[in-house]
Amino acid sequence: MAIIVKGRSISKGRAEGEALVCRQPIGFNFGIDVATGVITEYNHELFGKSIKDKVLLFPHGKGSTGGSYVVYQLAKNKTGPKAIINITTETIIAVGAIMGGIPVVDSLEKNPYELIFDGDLVKVDADQGLIAIEK
Amino acid sequence: MRLTDNEKRMLDGEKGDPIRMAMEILLALGKIYGAEKLIPIQSAHVAGLSLKSHGLAGTEWAEDLANRGARICIPTTMNVVGVDRSRDFNFPKAWVKDQLRIETAYERMGCFGTSSCVPYYCGFVPRYQEHIAWSESSAVVFTNSVLGARDNREGGPSALASGLTGRTPLYGLHLDENRKGDVLFKVSAPLTNLADYGALGSYVGRMIGTRVPVFEGIQGPAIEDLVYLGAALASSGGVAMFHAVGVTPEAPTVEAAFGKKKYEVIEISGKEIEEGKRKLTSAKEKKVDYVAIGCPHCSLNQLKEMAMMLKGRRVNKETTLWVHTNVAIKSLARQLGYVQTIEEAGGVVTQDLCTILGNPEALGFKALATNSPKMAFYAPGSNGFSVWYGSADQCVEAAVQGTWKA
Repeated sequence: MAIIVKGRSISKGRAEGEALVCRQPIGFNFGIDVATGVITEYNHELFGKSIKDKVLLFPHGKGSTGGSYVVYQLAKNKTGPKAIINITTETIIAVGAIMGGIPVVDSLEKNPYELIFDGDLVKVDADQGLIAIEK
Repeated sequence: MRLTDNEKRMLDGEKGDPIRMAMEILLALGKIYGAEKLIPIQSAHVAGLSLKSHGLAGTEWAEDLANRGARICIPTTMNVVGVDRSRDFNFPKAWVKDQLRIETAYERMGCFGTSSCVPYYCGFVPRYQEHIAWSESSAVVFTNSVLGARDNREGGPSALASGLTGRTPLYGLHLDENRKGDVLFKVSAPLTNLADYGALGSYVGRMIGTRVPVFEGIQGPAIEDLVYLGAALASSGGVAMFHAVGVTPEAPTVEAAFGKKKYEVIEISGKEIEEGKRKLTSAKEKKVDYVAIGCPHCSLNQLKEMAMMLKGRRVNKETTLWVHTNVAIKSLARQLGYVQTIEEAGGVVTQDLCTILGNPEALGFKALATNSPKMAFYAPGSNGFSVWYGSADQCVEAAVQGTWKA
């Protein structure tokens, strides 16, 4: 049984994967090891965890504007997330995801933090702006 | 989005493939943010030029653009990079080689190799209400807040896209209605140095995310104080603009800063400033082997102050002191004798690079002391350093003694 939620397409493409839920903004420049996809920002809630191959839910990007290149590198190195779900995507994540071809959906009609939990299988169709959560 | 005939031709590839790609990036952003059109801009500033950000993937992307004839059409400055072009620090050879490839690619596209996060200290000063497309989060917050220019938090590639096309989508902070304050911070704490301003920015940045803070009670700050406040807000949070009542141009009064918006009020006392400092400190051991000043890059006055503090003193032989600035400020500081004074004391004045975008960890340092809130925030993730955060005086003491004194 899948829950389907509509959102807004930011960066096109389709992907599916295991959800990783993060309530804090993520700064990609200097905040992640691009060789592994492990978050390295001190005091961050995902510190030491890998975002590789996940469907990553986080509110928005933050910090250094060099982060677009890092998102691009993660995509090229295949150490990045399969797809991104944001509350509100900002420029750093949007541009990096468009350059790297990572599907991104934001502004969902329902609060994703009440629907998506770590380990859920989530399908993201950013061509249509839809996500499906398998329960 | 409504495009002019010329913009349609740019999007269709008539002006070459790099321009087409640049237009695609700008249109994607315009669509996301509901822009109705593109507007002309007068300058761009491209960040993310360190090999740490570009990686080999980004380096090849930039070289490919330059090879295909990408050329900027408005003044476009370059941000801090990962090497000092005036001297050899014994960084790994491969790091230096690939870092220089990035700089060469952007210079081939016509960008100015200013290699600094503070282009406004070397002649690139956007005027009030001028539309620009600058990346480098500390510069974005400075131009919006202190100069009253109009800039969104660009990423490196979107700023380059604007430099290549001379345009940016009309949304966000280019529009009057989005420049008003969201939360009022009443500051009763005394702010006596850059580290205090940085701690305030760090505390508020973590709380406010991407909203616009308004500060009441900040009195007579130096330009450098506002640079460090903004850099802390932008790194600890996602802040692109702040107001300081009676200080910044769009906030002559509290009413002007908020317009008709309702707002919450938060008090900032000495306790919150201390909390901001604690959050930027990750070190436990007192031994300090690396002291770095100048993130964002030092102004001429900061270099003069460092020279005065270091005059007649000697940096500990087990500690390295780097003071970061750009080539323009360094040239002036050399002419005025500040560089010689700092270097006679055993410090090093660097140009082009900085701690977080350079590679000082390759030289074996472990424990950093700094008065920079941005460096303190990023150094654990970027360099793997443990960090002591405090005033420039404390940092100079740490450089001389080799240990941190609270």
